[in-house]
Amino acid sequence: MAGISSGLATNYIYACTRMRVRRSLLIPREDYLRMLNMSLPEITRFIGETNYRSEIDELGTSFSGINLVEEALNWNLAKEYQNILELVPGELKYFTASYLRRWDIQNVVTILRGKMQGVQPGKLKEVLIPAGRLDKVALDRLLTEESPERVVEALKGERFYQILERELPRAMETGSFAHLENELYKGYYARLIADAKEGVKGGKMFLKYIELEIDTRNIQNLFRLRAGLVREDVRELMIPGGSFSVEELQRLSGLEDRDEFIDALKRQVRAAPLLNALEAIRGKSALHEIEVALTRFQLDQMERMSKRYPFSVLPVIVYLEEKKYEVANLRALARGKEAGLPGERLQGYLVM
Amino acid sequence: MVDVGMTLEMVEASQLGMRALGAALAVGLTGIASGIAEMTIGSAAVGATAENRDVFGLVLLLTVIPETIVIFGLVVALLLLF
Repeated sequence: MAGISSGLATNYIYACTRMRVRRSLLIPREDYLRMLNMSLPEITRFIGETNYRSEIDELGTSFSGINLVEEALNWNLAKEYQNILELVPGELKYFTASYLRRWDIQNVVTILRGKMQGVQPGKLKEVLIPAGRLDKVALDRLLTEESPERVVEALKGERFYQILERELPRAMETGSFAHLENELYKGYYARLIADAKEGVKGGKMFLKYIELEIDTRNIQNLFRLRAGLVREDVRELMIPGGSFSVEELQRLSGLEDRDEFIDALKRQVRAAPLLNALEAIRGKSALHEIEVALTRFQLDQMERMSKRYPFSVLPVIVYLEEKKYEVANLRALARGKEAGLPGERLQGYLVM
Repeated sequence: MVDVGMTLEMVEASQLGMRALGAALAVGLTGIASGIAEMTIGSAAVGATAENRDVFGLVLLLTVIPETIVIFGLVVALLLLF
C-alpha cells in the first residue's frame, strides 16, 4: 500500500502507460512485409502516413529520395527521444538520460571521423542524431571546430572526456577510430552499471537490463569474431559487467568448432529463452541472421522483464530500443530498395 | 451500552448515534478505497489519453468502475439510517 499511495507511483504509472501506448503504435510486422514489395517512393509515402508525417512534410522541400527518408528518420528519432526525456519523471529521467548517452558517443565518433577525413560540416550534420545529452546547439559548436583534437578539447567536462583524451593520439596515429570507439562504449557500459548501483530507487531493474544488453552484445561479438576468423586475444573487445566474465568469453572464443562453441555457451546459460535462441542459431549460417535472432531474443526478453516490473524504467527502455530498431529497419529497407536488392534478401536483415 | 440507570429516550438516542457512526464509516472508508483505486487507474488513463485521444471514452469508463465501491458504501449507509 505504501508503494501505491505515494505520489511517485502515479508518475511511474503515467509515464509507463504512455510508453506502452507508443509501443503499440510502432510499425507492425505485416506492414514491414508489405513494404518489402514497395518501391522507394511508395515506402516514403507509406511512412509519411505514420508517425513520421511531420518530418517528411517538413523536409520534403529540401531533400528527396533516400536522403529524405534518412533525414526524416534521424529527426524523428532524435525528437522522440528528447520528448521522452521530458515526460518521464524523477528517477526514470535519471536512468533514461543515462541510457541515451550512447547517442553522444555515436555523434562524437561520427564528428571525429568526419573531421579526420575533411567532410563538410553541413554534410556531417545530416548524419548526426542529437538524441543524447549533447543537443543540436552543442553538436553545431563541435562541428565548427577544425580538427579532431579541437573537438575533443571542446568536450572537456563530459563524462567520456578522459577516455577521448587518452585514446585520441593512438587513433590519429593509426587513422582508425575503432579502438577509441570500443573504449568509449566500454566506458559507457561501466558508467551505466555505476549509475544503476548508485542507490537510486529502481536501479536493480535497470541493472538487469544492462546485464542483458552486455551479454547479448558480447555473444553477438563472439559470433562476429568467429565469422571474421579472428583468433587473437578478444579480452580487449569484450564488455565486462555481464553475467559472463571476460576470461570465460576469451575461453569460449578459443573453441574451433562451431557446434562445440554453441554447446559451451549453452552450458554457461541458465535462462531458457536464451537457450532456445542459441539452439535456433545452430541452424543458421549467415552472420546477419544470427545477429537478428539475438537482437530479437534481447527485445523479447526485455519485453518479458517489463511485464514483470510494469512500473519501472524497463517499459521506457523497451520502447526506446524498439523505436531504435524500427528506424534501423526502415533505413535498411529504404537503402536496400535504393540499391535494388530483392525483398527476400532484405527481409533477413529486418528485426521484426 | 445499556446502563441500568438509562432511560428509554437515552437508549434510543444512543442507538441512533451508533447507526449514524456506522453510516459515516461505511461512506468514509469506501470513499477512501475508491480514491486509492481510481488514483492508479486515473494516472494510467491520463497517460493513455495523452497518446491516443480515441481511447478517452473507454478509459473514462474504466476510471469510474471503482466508484461502485463507494456506491455500495452509500447504499449500506442509507439502509442503516432509514
